[in-house]
Amino acid sequence: MREQDTAAVRADRLRDALVGCAAGRQTGIDAILDSEGGQLLGVARRMLGRHDLAEEALQDAMVQVWRKAAQFDAQTGSARGWIYAILRNRCLNILRDSRRLSVLSPTDLATLQEHRQQVVPTEGWEILAGQSRLRDCLHGLDGQSRHAILLAHVAGFSHAEISTRQDVPLGTIKSLIRRGLLALKECLS
Amino acid sequence: MTDDAQTISALADEYVLGLLSPSEDMLFEALLTHDPALARQIGSLRDRMLPLDLSATPAPLPSDFPARVRGSLPTQDQGSPVAPPKPANRPDAPKSWVPHLIAASLVGAVVGFSGAGLRQAPTPTVVAVLVDANGVPQAVIDDYGNDTANVRFVADIAVPPDRTLQVWTLPSPEMGPTSLGTLDRAAATELHFSDLPDPGAQQLYEVTLEPLGGSPTGRPTGPIIGKGFAASQI
Repeated sequence: MREQDTAAVRADRLRDALVGCAAGRQTGIDAILDSEGGQLLGVARRMLGRHDLAEEALQDAMVQVWRKAAQFDAQTGSARGWIYAILRNRCLNILRDSRRLSVLSPTDLATLQEHRQQVVPTEGWEILAGQSRLRDCLHGLDGQSRHAILLAHVAGFSHAEISTRQDVPLGTIKSLIRRGLLALKECLS
Repeated sequence: MTDDAQTISALADEYVLGLLSPSEDMLFEALLTHDPALARQIGSLRDRMLPLDLSATPAPLPSDFPARVRGSLPTQDQGSPVAPPKPANRPDAPKSWVPHLIAASLVGAVVGFSGAGLRQAPTPTVVAVLVDANGVPQAVIDDYGNDTANVRFVADIAVPPDRTLQVWTLPSPEMGPTSLGTLDRAAATELHFSDLPDPGAQQLYEVTLEPLGGSPTGRPTGPIIGKGFAASQI
């Protein structure tokens, strides 16, 4: 990421890059990787715990960005948010594809799951939200809802996984997350 | 806001978090192409959650990474932006009730909260979202095992008076495509059949348009309305 860029300059560049992709210009992909590549790979690495899987997810995500670029609508949100959402989706596909993970040895699989659990600490979770309004709003949630929301968004855990990890019934986890998200959105708006 | 609208709104939040199942994800993306307000709700929450992504420690890209990505890009249909997918049989404009069908199907697909309060619906063994050649969802199959399945339609499918819709599955290559039932119109229907093995993940389902009364050969003969692979729900 080029830290000297202002947010507005980066937003323009990413939007232009998507227009380029939609028109078939590969320089659009180069521009996205130049601007966001390291951060995107970091997100994938954090969620997947392994460098090889993270690179695979990012490569798949860039192909999806290329394919779907013409569908991006700047009226609905930022290009940056759209691109990160595609990457997270690819990461989740890898995590939810048991056949994909079955090539890993049991030890590697255990390491990966352990890593994901540690990505979201109960104490000191604030580091995950940086200096943002989001952090203030997450502070306002009850601890259990906040932890479940962070496990889902940051580490890619499913409802069922969160339910098992937290030893809370599935229905309770679903309603904790829904309630937490409603409160979070109200605070953010 | 109605109960269903609340459910869809809650699903939108779960979609942003990545909590929907793959079949719900697909239906949701179909719904988004019809519902700009919902797309804005999703874009807004996504942008507000972005600090969580930006807190990851950046990882340096390998120097050959951009070249590897370039090498895997398919050819773009240059100069003509891809139009958002539209339901089959309606190349002009989607009927206004199509999104409602998708929404109703999504609400129905969600086990847990629905309608007034907490309701535990029976869980299908597998769910398959059947898509047309453009990847647009047309129908959803909930197969409960024990020779019972439901089919719901999420697109506007016109069935001519001299044609019948037929639902098929492929329990195994040895058994070949097997009929689950026929329908004279695209309406939600409970299907009962006999002596099929319980369904499994990755099992193929499809709906075809057949001559009146169903396929004369016992195998699919007509055009495919939609097909898809089952995702296990248990």
